[in-house]
Amino acid sequence: MSTRHSFVVGLAFGIGLVMAGSAAGYHTRFIADNCNSAPPTPTPFITREGSATVALRARYEGYQWAGGCWNDNDRDDSPNDPHEDPGTGGEGGDCSGFTFKVWRESLVTSDAGFEQWGMLRNVHGPYTAAAFKAGTGAPNVTVSKASLVKMDALASDGHIGLIYATNPDGTDQIIEAKGEDYGTNIWTRAYRGNSSYTGVRRTGWSP
Amino acid sequence: MRRHSLERRIVSPLAGIAAGFALASLLAIVVATAVARPSTAVPGAVFDATHLPPLLTLPGERVRLVYDVHCAPDGIEDPERGCAAQGVVHIRSGANGQFRALPLEPSSADGIRQLTATVPEKIAADSEGFEYYAELRGADDGERLLVPGGGADAPHRSLPLLDPTDADLGRHVFGEARRGTRILEAPWGEGPASVGLEPGRTFPAIGATAFDVDENGSVLVLDEAHRRALRWNRDGMGPATVALSISGRLADIALGDDGSIYVLESVAAPARTPVVRRFDAAGRALGVVETAERGPAQLRIGPNGPVVLQRPSHQWMPVGETNSPIEPREQRRKARAGRPVRSGGEVVVLRRDGGILAALVSNGKVQRSWNVASDTPLGEVQLAEPIGRRLLLIVRTFTDSADEFVVLVLDRNGIVTQFSTPTDEWAEAAPLTRFRIAGSRLYRLGSDSSGVFVDRYDPGAS
Repeated sequence: MSTRHSFVVGLAFGIGLVMAGSAAGYHTRFIADNCNSAPPTPTPFITREGSATVALRARYEGYQWAGGCWNDNDRDDSPNDPHEDPGTGGEGGDCSGFTFKVWRESLVTSDAGFEQWGMLRNVHGPYTAAAFKAGTGAPNVTVSKASLVKMDALASDGHIGLIYATNPDGTDQIIEAKGEDYGTNIWTRAYRGNSSYTGVRRTGWSP
Repeated sequence: MRRHSLERRIVSPLAGIAAGFALASLLAIVVATAVARPSTAVPGAVFDATHLPPLLTLPGERVRLVYDVHCAPDGIEDPERGCAAQGVVHIRSGANGQFRALPLEPSSADGIRQLTATVPEKIAADSEGFEYYAELRGADDGERLLVPGGGADAPHRSLPLLDPTDADLGRHVFGEARRGTRILEAPWGEGPASVGLEPGRTFPAIGATAFDVDENGSVLVLDEAHRRALRWNRDGMGPATVALSISGRLADIALGDDGSIYVLESVAAPARTPVVRRFDAAGRALGVVETAERGPAQLRIGPNGPVVLQRPSHQWMPVGETNSPIEPREQRRKARAGRPVRSGGEVVVLRRDGGILAALVSNGKVQRSWNVASDTPLGEVQLAEPIGRRLLLIVRTFTDSADEFVVLVLDRNGIVTQFSTPTDEWAEAAPLTRFRIAGSRLYRLGSDSSGVFVDRYDPGAS
């Protein structure tokens, strides 16, 4: 083995060693460096329009299982998070955390009031997608899917998305935190007719 | 000499390891610093609009154009501090002549800010329909938004159905669905004849998100999780593997007349739009083009090449012609309300409360049309395909606890054939990819907990 060859092999081994170590302990510092635990602002006047604004500001900001903190720079600041790990500290909400924050709900499930959470407040809320599907929590009720309107939700046992618009072909544009490989965005979906999805409405909106 | 050689053999790899360690550590620090850079808490402006175009209308209907407008100022996080948008609709009778401006009036519904205009009766009643586009402005910063994005070059088109054929589905009876003939199946898994499920925390699972059938009856199933397609010949022999350089996420697929494979991806790179990739039959990459809009929903083959249904305009746009890609600006300019079909003309569909309006259109004029009513709610239209002078229409019907697809063949007198199929969607697929037609045969993609399958139907037999 030549000297040069030995050096190159050693170089590769060294890089591999560091990369393996980094991968094993991988997490982003998005939440640690950016997010806060500020209390929400109770507010008596909350519209579907305002919730659409909350949702649109989360668009393009990534996905984090069990997460709920994002900025508004239109990119995922912690891309390629490992799958199946709620502790990677990345940007974005998961589907139920996103819905909780967009619907501006309380951490107290018996409280149907509205609370405004800051974008950088890291909060997921007490509901899973399945809990939303069941209409759990004082603000949430199940409703007929045919009657859903903008910013109502469609929830299954494992996912929830919000209706942003209805399309001429009968699909909906759904704004949702879809997964690590997808982030948070608006996609055309056929959830409404799918029998594994239930219609869910946040109650108490201001007109 | 020998001692120096031995030292070199030991020292060189060690030096390499040290250098590699230092280099990778430096890189990791640089990356971590970039990722950890504190981000700004200042929210950006929001300015977006959605609009459901009245693509088809019935005689005597009052036509109201409604735009949900989402507008919030830069730098203020309070989402209730919206900004007052304003705008006009430019409208004309038929497809030629000058547009005239129609002011949009502020309104609201369900707490959503809207801009609306009622189409003047004379224009709404024009036998050639009307064209229109909206020009919206955010009142605070004057940002301008055209809906649809092609503006005067490719406005929305609304066509009147002067004499539609009525078809009443009544109340749907669930539980009588036909299963069809199973022509292929593949288990979930990692083997060469298996289909993959996408990694990650996705519920339901996502896999085999689209398929297509060529004119010979060969079936191509997209196995996006494995970045490939699986091909079965018309006798069900296979699968042969076609490796595809794709993102591995939910996508649509279409087979070109020359054997080209087109894949429409659903997730875009930051600040970009999704892409359509073209491959030859062996999977060699031949080209890629971005879609004009952020939310493409469906990929099909038109008379001149691939066409994509785009959102938010809801317009069909060509993305390639004679094997050359069409750039986004040109896509937008060539946008159409209807899907151009291989046999010529267009098919236009509008699902609305209580039913579906459908029309076969040629040279901008309605040739045949149908008004389908249903007492059971109707979901998405999975397929609308002319078969001669008939129309094959497949729509999901649903209650809050059940759903099936309804297959209809419609002619001048009404319903020729009607039956239902199961939905079989254990795994999530692209939203409008469940059915394909080749020749006179209908094919349905389904999945259950063991794998993916394709069933075949003869829609001519009731």
